[in-house]
Amino acid sequence: MRNGHADEIAKLIEPGRVHRRVYADPDIFELEMERIFGRAWLYVGHTSQVPNPGDYITTELGRQPVIMCRHRDNGVHVLLNRCSHRGPKVVNERKGHATRLTCCYHGWTYDTDGQLVTVPVPEGCGEGFDKAAFGLARAPRVEEYRGFVFASLATSGPSFEEHIGPMKGNFDDLVDRAPDGALALDAGMHRYVYNGNWKLQLENVLDSYHVPFGHASTVNKDGVQFARREGDQKGATVVEADKKQTANAWKDRKSFIVGNGHGWTSNTALDDGKRSSPAFDEYKRALAEKVGAARAQEILTPRLHNSLIYPNVSIMGLNIHVRVIKPLAVDRTEVTIYPIRLVGAPAAMNFGNIRLLNVTHSAASFVQTDDLESFVRAQTGLQSRQTDWVDISRGLGAEEPDRELNVTRGLATHEMVVRAQYRAWMGYMREAA
Amino acid sequence: MDAVNRDNVADIDRAPFELFLIQEAHLLDERRFREWMGLFADDGIYWVPAVPNQESPFDQASLFYDDRELMKTRIDRLEHPRIHVQTPPSRTAHLVGNVIVEQTDEGEFLVRSTFIMVEYRDDRQRTFAGRQSHRLRREGASFRIVQKRVDLINCDSAFEAMAVPI
Repeated sequence: MRNGHADEIAKLIEPGRVHRRVYADPDIFELEMERIFGRAWLYVGHTSQVPNPGDYITTELGRQPVIMCRHRDNGVHVLLNRCSHRGPKVVNERKGHATRLTCCYHGWTYDTDGQLVTVPVPEGCGEGFDKAAFGLARAPRVEEYRGFVFASLATSGPSFEEHIGPMKGNFDDLVDRAPDGALALDAGMHRYVYNGNWKLQLENVLDSYHVPFGHASTVNKDGVQFARREGDQKGATVVEADKKQTANAWKDRKSFIVGNGHGWTSNTALDDGKRSSPAFDEYKRALAEKVGAARAQEILTPRLHNSLIYPNVSIMGLNIHVRVIKPLAVDRTEVTIYPIRLVGAPAAMNFGNIRLLNVTHSAASFVQTDDLESFVRAQTGLQSRQTDWVDISRGLGAEEPDRELNVTRGLATHEMVVRAQYRAWMGYMREAA
Repeated sequence: MDAVNRDNVADIDRAPFELFLIQEAHLLDERRFREWMGLFADDGIYWVPAVPNQESPFDQASLFYDDRELMKTRIDRLEHPRIHVQTPPSRTAHLVGNVIVEQTDEGEFLVRSTFIMVEYRDDRQRTFAGRQSHRLRREGASFRIVQKRVDLINCDSAFEAMAVPI
């Protein structure tokens, strides 16, 4: 498997099932880091995290440490966080501000666009030492859409436009909710880790099938979940109270795919027309004032629940946040959740969003913790070698074209979105980098 | 955290405050969460910040920021038979020490302490540690919690799932 011969990889995915090695084999994981995370368009960060020249954040693309920083010319650069001299990570804080980036080991100093500026005791560098050749390595391709910064670590491959395709509309859906038409990811973050494969979290973000069971502990005896949004009078009906089965409203939810592994789920029927609170009402007024009543009404009509932009980011429309998935090892994954502040919305509305995200998606939340338990148990169960296959066949063949949206549609409690992720996975994995 | 105001500290008998913190720790360790919630005032808040020296829960993410209503939802869930992340349940042991008491207002006190909580669940053991501050309001012979703030030393790290309050 080390060599990753295409025919051997091809045997790991079948139309309705995935081989356990895809989750449990360290060699497959190494190939994923090369063939998926080494070349796909990956979400890096949001421009609001580096509002001023000299501001930076550090993160990882796959396992590779990077710096996203804003230079004096206002350009946002994605630099590999590795000194060109002997290799130490240059910037060690998760965020900050600097006019120069200096390596702790021998003091090599870089500008915020990655250029090498000074080398201590330069006479030792030898004849013809060219500082221009020793800048920080950079992501060869970087693109931004409405503040969301993506990078590819490969010099060639599908363009960002080809990759992102109609998913731009999902970003628009979120950004347009801000009265000033901009988001700010400046409200801190939630960080959690679990002993499981990264794809378990990826599959989960669009999985509507698990909700009544996986999150049973958040549902009261009437089958209703706690209210999750500012201004909601009550939460969604998840289970029919008398029948102990999934609520019809839930079963009717749809999911959508558009190629490249991306997809989304439609909104829960949560908007009962009664959503109201002083903060929400003031927000509605602020939005209508900026964009007009008709457009505001359109924006506030919930259409999208969760979106996945394959392979490392999800944007969530209910408890609004950006979720970044970072593989650490075949059986270890870190997830970072950024609350979103809607610029121009009243502070109380933004607080409502932050407050409810604490209870749905912090490491100590009511919702995410049961998912983490499922991921850990999946990784443990998949150690069994008596059964090689993971079943993802729900709704196989039931997909249908949505002519209005020009996408493919299925029931959200089916597994169409997971199969779409594995088609994308195979697209990356069967070709050597 | 502010420096301790020594003028207000000198005359206060620490014993009843220490006893209160010990009893609170017992309720948590014995999983008597509903009684634990009962220690909070009706306007009481339980707050675990997600960054060191976090100034506000309103503009930043927190690990926990529960008013009584959210606390009740959390405890309903902890008592739910299908809470997977508590199957099997956590066992915890709290140790509270280094207690300092300061009177902040008529009938209100700020009690600062250091804690360690060891949690065992499903063959794994982990440690939480930090400083906590309880804003207490005198009520009869005891106190109600106006705010309990827990500052974990690793509050900004990536955590595995946390189900029980600290």
